[in-house]
Amino acid sequence: MTYRSASLVAYVAFFALLMVLPFFLNSFWTNRMATYLVYSICALGIAMSWGYAGILSLGQGLFFGMGAYMLAMSLTLADPSNNPVPELMLLNMEPDAVRDLCCVTTGSFLWIPFRWVTVGLLAGIVVPCILAALIGYVMFKRRTTGVYVSIITLAFALIGQLLIINNQPLTGGFNGLASLAALEVAGFEFDPYGPSVYYLVTFTLLAVTLLARYLLSGRVGQVLKAIREDEARARYLGYDVENYKLFIFCVSAGVAGLAGMLFTVTSEFAAPSLMATSFSISMVIWAATGGRASLLGACIGALIVNFIGSLASESATFQPVWPIILGGLFVFVVLVMPNGIAGLFKDFFDRRSASANDGRAVPATAEGS
Amino acid sequence: METFVIGLSIGSILFMVALGLAIIYGTMKVINLAHGEMVMIGAYTTVLATKHLGFNLYLCIPLAFLVTAAFGYVIERTVVRRLYGRLLDTLLATWGIALILQQLIRIHFGLALFGIHIDGLGSDLQNVPVPSELQQAFQFLGANIPVYRAFIFVMALVLGAVSWWLIFKTRFGSQLRAVSVARNTAAACGINDKRVNTLAFAYGSGLAGIAGVLVSGFKTVSPDMGTPYVVDAFLVVVAGGVGHLMGTLLSAGILGEVQSFVATWLNDVYGRTVLFTVVILILLFKPQGLFVTKSR
Repeated sequence: MTYRSASLVAYVAFFALLMVLPFFLNSFWTNRMATYLVYSICALGIAMSWGYAGILSLGQGLFFGMGAYMLAMSLTLADPSNNPVPELMLLNMEPDAVRDLCCVTTGSFLWIPFRWVTVGLLAGIVVPCILAALIGYVMFKRRTTGVYVSIITLAFALIGQLLIINNQPLTGGFNGLASLAALEVAGFEFDPYGPSVYYLVTFTLLAVTLLARYLLSGRVGQVLKAIREDEARARYLGYDVENYKLFIFCVSAGVAGLAGMLFTVTSEFAAPSLMATSFSISMVIWAATGGRASLLGACIGALIVNFIGSLASESATFQPVWPIILGGLFVFVVLVMPNGIAGLFKDFFDRRSASANDGRAVPATAEGS
Repeated sequence: METFVIGLSIGSILFMVALGLAIIYGTMKVINLAHGEMVMIGAYTTVLATKHLGFNLYLCIPLAFLVTAAFGYVIERTVVRRLYGRLLDTLLATWGIALILQQLIRIHFGLALFGIHIDGLGSDLQNVPVPSELQQAFQFLGANIPVYRAFIFVMALVLGAVSWWLIFKTRFGSQLRAVSVARNTAAACGINDKRVNTLAFAYGSGLAGIAGVLVSGFKTVSPDMGTPYVVDAFLVVVAGGVGHLMGTLLSAGILGEVQSFVATWLNDVYGRTVLFTVVILILLFKPQGLFVTKSR
């Protein structure tokens, strides 16, 4: 079996397994798994920008959080207890303010479009994309590279988090948005603890994976890898480096926004902690564990890290030790297997079929930078 | 004037944390996200030493320096050494180390698993007794200035001066500078560049430890107290220009003042928002740092 067909088998087996999984899980674990699959989507976004183009964003939580908040606003308004005005605004309004969304608190008119869930669903992808486009445009036009990109995105995420915490009358502040209705599309209600949400997430993951494969296995993927390896050379060869980077940065942000929306659906809240530095770095760790330059690897990495984490937090003995194991895992992955689980998989095939394989690298498992 | 003094003390703490980071990042191009945990360990050293050994705050300063330098030494020898040249990977690995250190404090270095609890560790908040002469305030130019803030400022200046002397006036310093400019050439000239790295890492960590002692005097001590410092300090380092002592000093001062003035004028959150915005602008428009006139 060649590496190429083996990785195809791996993709098919992975998704087949995901499809049958809910039959063996109770409602609690269905919900947990759905959340971890959301993290997988997020890791996929990171694999696209970091693994392929070498752009390490430490502000991915900003886009994830924006997506989560956009849908959470719509779902807040969909909850009957929040009619006509969300409870959080009633708590924060001036005593004599009009109890209407237009002017109950300063800026509350921004919520008006979110009365329609469709707007929330669209904004969850579009707003992170636009935000990423603005940040990316300034960054890449100034030819900011490498670690400076990481620091700038990190700083933006910190700003986002602070602004959300500070504007309590508008955003729910530190507690975020927590009294949400279930997502309802065309009369069908998605139950966070049932298989409906699980399959919603799984099919989204499948769609995003296919989209990413389609996008990156062609010309764009090759150019991005060229940029990752040597930006100046790619520029001399006539490629518009800035626009390619901007493109993949936005796509990655959009994917993170999508994941954020699904997070709202599975977990039924949106909070500023989603934009915290530690959460953004965790996302990068998921992708690194699975294999930063492998789409499937990133998905599996997110699943494994979170799954083990939740097993550990169940047990009284392991719960206090878990962060240490997690920290040790980061160090181990970086030191011993920089290409993650997918890298091990590839090494195995490289060694086994060194003669059969004529050296064509499959894009999904190219060496990480 | 009071706002200015508050800004000065914020800047002083930033400077002490950033100085260590600047030496580490400038010499070996390692982003040490565990640097904030060195502040935390410095603070816990103070908590433990005052509780169990009866040390006062002054005695804790050299002690914390030694303890955190030892931690830094071990971290460099075991992990960071293997990652030179892989900038973004050092970031991930040191974040892992940071998680480990935080949790070790929370579970009393693992002793909690066997039912042993040490007073002063764990996830609770801790406080440190401050000597009475530091709790007073004095009048200066019509402003009421707490002695502690002045003490922090003086300590920052002293540490800055010591570091300057170490880097520019000693044999180790010239080796350090040689390694940071041209590692291979320096190694070819007979400088043991690995040893220089280890010592620089330990010294940088030790500085953060001292900052930790001073922080513990006016803030509660908790296992996750270090994280905000590492982010801020790293911003200071890049904003001031990597590998420039004066740049780090000035940018720490400026960013501390910016935060203090905006915080007084609006509120604390906007103070930090403006701080981050300023840094983003600096990075975008002067990526070499504010105070760098020529690049090598």
